Amino acid sequence: MTKRFIFTWTLTILLIGGLTSCFGSPAPDVLTSTTILADIARNVAGDQLVTQSLLPFGTDPHSYQPVPQDTKKINQSKVLVVNGANYERSLEPLLASVGDKKELIEASTGLRFLTDPENDQEVDPHLWLDPNNVIVYVENIREGLTQFNPDGADVYQANARAYIAQLQELDAWINGQVAQIPPQRRVLVTNHDSLEYFAQRYGFKVVGAVVPGFSSEAAPSAQEMAALIDRVKLFEAPAIFLDAADNPSLAQQIATETGAKVVTDLHLESLTEGAPASTYIDMMHSNVTKIVEALK
Amino acid sequence: MSFFLEPLQYEFMQRGMIAAILVGIVCAVVGTYVVLRGMAFFGDALAHTILPGIALGYLISGGTRESLFWWALGTAVIAALGIGALSKNSEIKEDTAIGIIFAGMFALGIALISTVRSYAVDLSHFLFGDVLSVSTQSLWLILIFGSLTLLIVFALYKEFLTLSFDPILAATLRLPVGLLNNLLLALIAVTVAVSLQTVGVALMVAMLVTPAATAYLLTRRLAQMMMLAAVFASLSGIIGLYLSYYLSIASGAAIVLTATFFFLLAFVWRRIRAG
Amino acid sequence: MYSHIHHQANQPILDVQHINVRYDGSAALEDINFHLHVGERVAVVGPNGAGKSTLFKVVSGVLPPNSGDVTIFGSRPRGHVCIAYIPQRSQVDWNFPVSVADVVMMGRSAKLGPLNWPHKGDWDVVHHALQTVELSDLATRQIGQLSGGQQQRMFIARALAQEAELMLMDEPLTGLDTPSQEGLLNLLDTLRGQKVTLMVATHDLDQAARHFDRIMLLNHRLIAFDEPQNVLQTDYLLQAYGGRLKIQSGGTMVVDDCCPPEEK
Repeated sequence: MTKRFIFTWTLTILLIGGLTSCFGSPAPDVLTSTTILADIARNVAGDQLVTQSLLPFGTDPHSYQPVPQDTKKINQSKVLVVNGANYERSLEPLLASVGDKKELIEASTGLRFLTDPENDQEVDPHLWLDPNNVIVYVENIREGLTQFNPDGADVYQANARAYIAQLQELDAWINGQVAQIPPQRRVLVTNHDSLEYFAQRYGFKVVGAVVPGFSSEAAPSAQEMAALIDRVKLFEAPAIFLDAADNPSLAQQIATETGAKVVTDLHLESLTEGAPASTYIDMMHSNVTKIVEALK
Repeated sequence: MSFFLEPLQYEFMQRGMIAAILVGIVCAVVGTYVVLRGMAFFGDALAHTILPGIALGYLISGGTRESLFWWALGTAVIAALGIGALSKNSEIKEDTAIGIIFAGMFALGIALISTVRSYAVDLSHFLFGDVLSVSTQSLWLILIFGSLTLLIVFALYKEFLTLSFDPILAATLRLPVGLLNNLLLALIAVTVAVSLQTVGVALMVAMLVTPAATAYLLTRRLAQMMMLAAVFASLSGIIGLYLSYYLSIASGAAIVLTATFFFLLAFVWRRIRAG
Repeated sequence: MYSHIHHQANQPILDVQHINVRYDGSAALEDINFHLHVGERVAVVGPNGAGKSTLFKVVSGVLPPNSGDVTIFGSRPRGHVCIAYIPQRSQVDWNFPVSVADVVMMGRSAKLGPLNWPHKGDWDVVHHALQTVELSDLATRQIGQLSGGQQQRMFIARALAQEAELMLMDEPLTGLDTPSQEGLLNLLDTLRGQKVTLMVATHDLDQAARHFDRIMLLNHRLIAFDEPQNVLQTDYLLQAYGGRLKIQSGGTMVVDDCCPPEEK
């Protein structure tokens, strides 16, 4: 009686296990950490390679917890593209086990990182919000792909050049847009410190963040809230900018007390499935349009 | 003097203080029964059990603070009555049954919330409270439901007293024992839902139990116990927020630490008086 | 909810028919039949675990029996609020933050009804009850500060405040020193004049014989229920106490039954 019971259950479990692995999607050639990197990498790799993002659309990479399927995908794909600058902290153990067996491209290699003024060890990973940094990303990805597949070198070269041209166009467009904002209103308040690179490139001042630090995972103390409210009032910041995935209640609290607007639909850490941010360039168009709307 | 006034110039601090005081009073009064009837574990379990209800509300209605309050309230009342029914009718010992449900429901809540993209931030708000982002609307909800709870406790004071001290007497006097027990469970549930904003799920049991336990050390008269508990709870709320302001520490935790500090003071004072 | 059933005249105050109570498959009470008249004083004796507390809970309407009927003045217990159950002292939370007067006032909860606070009339009843049991000067003390005998008297006062006509007392004499016991028994004597019917569970067969009209000998079954000299017979006692009983020469009986130590 017991033997039959154990046998039936083992069979059932094996069947289920087998079936689920059948239904998992095939692993891509190029696996990136985020959807933003996937779009950038795809523009370099072209149609030759299958490029996918590990994190789904709309996920906050700062708080992402890996699942077992992720290990499988990482192991089965051939090239890994990550942002670097400590962005993929939660994936580190998985990546460490991969070791030298794969081509690992750190897209931000060679760029100068900004750090937290109070803590040298903390690095700001949000480099991609400045298209000029993304140009370096593209070059790093091109190098890495060429190493992995020398046969495709010419294709990658051509793709990269074309995409860089688009990024330069984007940069010029942003400058034009920002010019519409009166200089004293070029003030940014964000959910967490994500727009520093963007601010430095395009002449904004980041006055503060609701959640102090480079990650979305903390919550402010009363002192930090009060300090931020003071700064918002001092600099007359017209708006607080949140990513679509952020919880708006603290920002709304600050807005009530200072008269600032709350903009809740920027896309800073992930693309969207469909409009308005299905590609990196669309994402930047959407973000800048909303920022300029709110500030001009 | 400006030391005390400076934080109060901020609206969020004003609302936060009012919320902390109101919540403190309700928790203290209801918590008196929790302490006298040995229901601390139940209180903790209840706070954790409502997490999946909040998660569901968050997934379905997008999660403004006010709508989450209703989800928390509904789940809390159902969970309270459910735990009450389970403890009465099962062969498993009461604390085991409660423990199983509470751990399972809590895990369900975390699983549900993790399907939302930015779950870490929201989870921390639910777990540790969000007193700094209490809106005026939330404050009204706290005031209305808190007052309702206090009113019922006051109106049925002698019934709850009799039931808590001597359930057999209550039965021989033909008081509606089942109804009163369930009503008390429901009141605890309402208190938990109302208090969720200030201290969150993880620290809730502290607000229910610590001020009342502190008062118990200092008086042996029930009415005095409730009033003292309310005083300690309110003071903990106020001082905790000042600590969060001047020392830059998390507000929910600061409130609970202050309440615990009062308890330790009372404990030591009792020891000195006795010895 | 709180209305009290009218007492029918010419009915025994308590009539118990074929009561059976089972816990976890074993019989706590088996086919109990008896009746009591107004003003009777009955001692309920039997070894620990014989079902005395269970019987009291069934009679007071707190515990529904598996089968059988209990009628108080001709109707079921549920409608009556005149039955007082006085618990064993060990079952009470003496640290509860209430005073003696608070506990006595609890007895009036049914008379007050919901949402009502006690009036002067209620306080008069409470004070009168405290006077009867001679606890007036301890009215404001927290209950944990009372001696065993005083705690017992407080519960009697509560029953008086409840205007109880049937009092079920669960081992009130256990653990009290002899003077306290005598004091309590004298107090019970004075209640006789108020037509209060008493059932008192006790381990002391001697006191049972001296102070009570009838003795009920119980060990899951009703072994005997009659005047003391008819009940305290060897064969009945052997049925009740089994191996715990030793008859010595000269007619003395030794009953070995574990009781809590004496209190002050």
